[in-house]
Amino acid sequence: MSHLSIEQLVALREPGVEPGGQAAREHLEHCAHCRDELDRLHQRVARLKALPSLRATRDRWPAVRARLEAERRARYLRRVRLGGLVGLAAAASLALALHTRPRPAGPLAAPEPAAATEISQAMARSRALEQAITRLDPDARVLDGRTARVAQELEDRIAAVDRQLEMNNLLGEEQAREAQQLRLWRERVGLLDALVDVHLTRASKVGL
Amino acid sequence: MDSYLLADSKTVLAQARAGDPAALEALYRAFETPVYNLCRRICRTAEDAEDVMQETFFEVCRSIGQYREEGSLWGWVRSIAASKALMRLRRNKYRETDELHEDLAPYRREDAHLRMDLEAALERLPEVSRAVVWLHDVEGYTHEEIAAMMGKTTSFSKSQLARAHGRLRRWLGEEVVG
Repeated sequence: MSHLSIEQLVALREPGVEPGGQAAREHLEHCAHCRDELDRLHQRVARLKALPSLRATRDRWPAVRARLEAERRARYLRRVRLGGLVGLAAAASLALALHTRPRPAGPLAAPEPAAATEISQAMARSRALEQAITRLDPDARVLDGRTARVAQELEDRIAAVDRQLEMNNLLGEEQAREAQQLRLWRERVGLLDALVDVHLTRASKVGL
Repeated sequence: MDSYLLADSKTVLAQARAGDPAALEALYRAFETPVYNLCRRICRTAEDAEDVMQETFFEVCRSIGQYREEGSLWGWVRSIAASKALMRLRRNKYRETDELHEDLAPYRREDAHLRMDLEAALERLPEVSRAVVWLHDVEGYTHEEIAAMMGKTTSFSKSQLARAHGRLRRWLGEEVVG
């Protein structure tokens, strides 16, 4: 009497009836040998499931976190570069607006509007702070969890301001646009100031 | 599985999606052992398994926003781990045919005194067979799912499983004499 092959026994565990499955089941009813084989197969699978969990000998979370942090920072730097472009675009549009604005007739030129001057100053301050951050080289430092969260939050808020600046350049009446631009650039400077503080504090802690 | 691996999984998930490092670490801690276990059962070495685990969690943290809660969180994490572990096997140019293993360890019925325990027998299986056994019998993947993950046919998965059980049966001395 020929018995079921291992292929047939393994197939019997599958849901549904495979080709030849019915014949295999009928054989099983009359063959104690194959029923024993199938029982052993079931037991083997149960023992496989009961094998103890293997555990890693090393904690890989620091490496995962460092890679995530590096990627996030690279995204941030791309955004900063984009922010710089936005700033240049804003400056260019502002300069163009000032240049083409009708001036009152008379021997003396009208003074430059205060808002435009302040925007230029805020943009210059913003650039200086970004350069300061670059000099602190945050990529080369490992931040503790809390500092990393604070830095991340600040960077995300700066990115949000950059998006608003970008949108603001496209829309609105000139005077309102300038006022909004000034507010956003001041906010950007404030956030960058805070970010520099975060990195400076960290640098002083590690004696750099 | 999520509920006992990850206390307050809804909150952790929401925070992880927002990029909170503490929540991402909580995900890592919750699934570290089952992910490593799966990777180690498939990969050739412990070093490979740890590397795959690291790649898995990097992917999990980056893509957590794409998890739509259509299945369990563990199911989602596990599919990433399985896929990366199989990718590692391919990268290591795994042996699709396993005659080599047979040649190295010819079985003779009178070798019964050399019976192995299940752990050792599993480790001795060719990599692809071991991966199929583990994914099918322990993790509960269907042959169709395994075939899709491996880029092979369903028949390939079925035949690998049958051959693996044939070997385990012999190596464990479980053949019924009939």
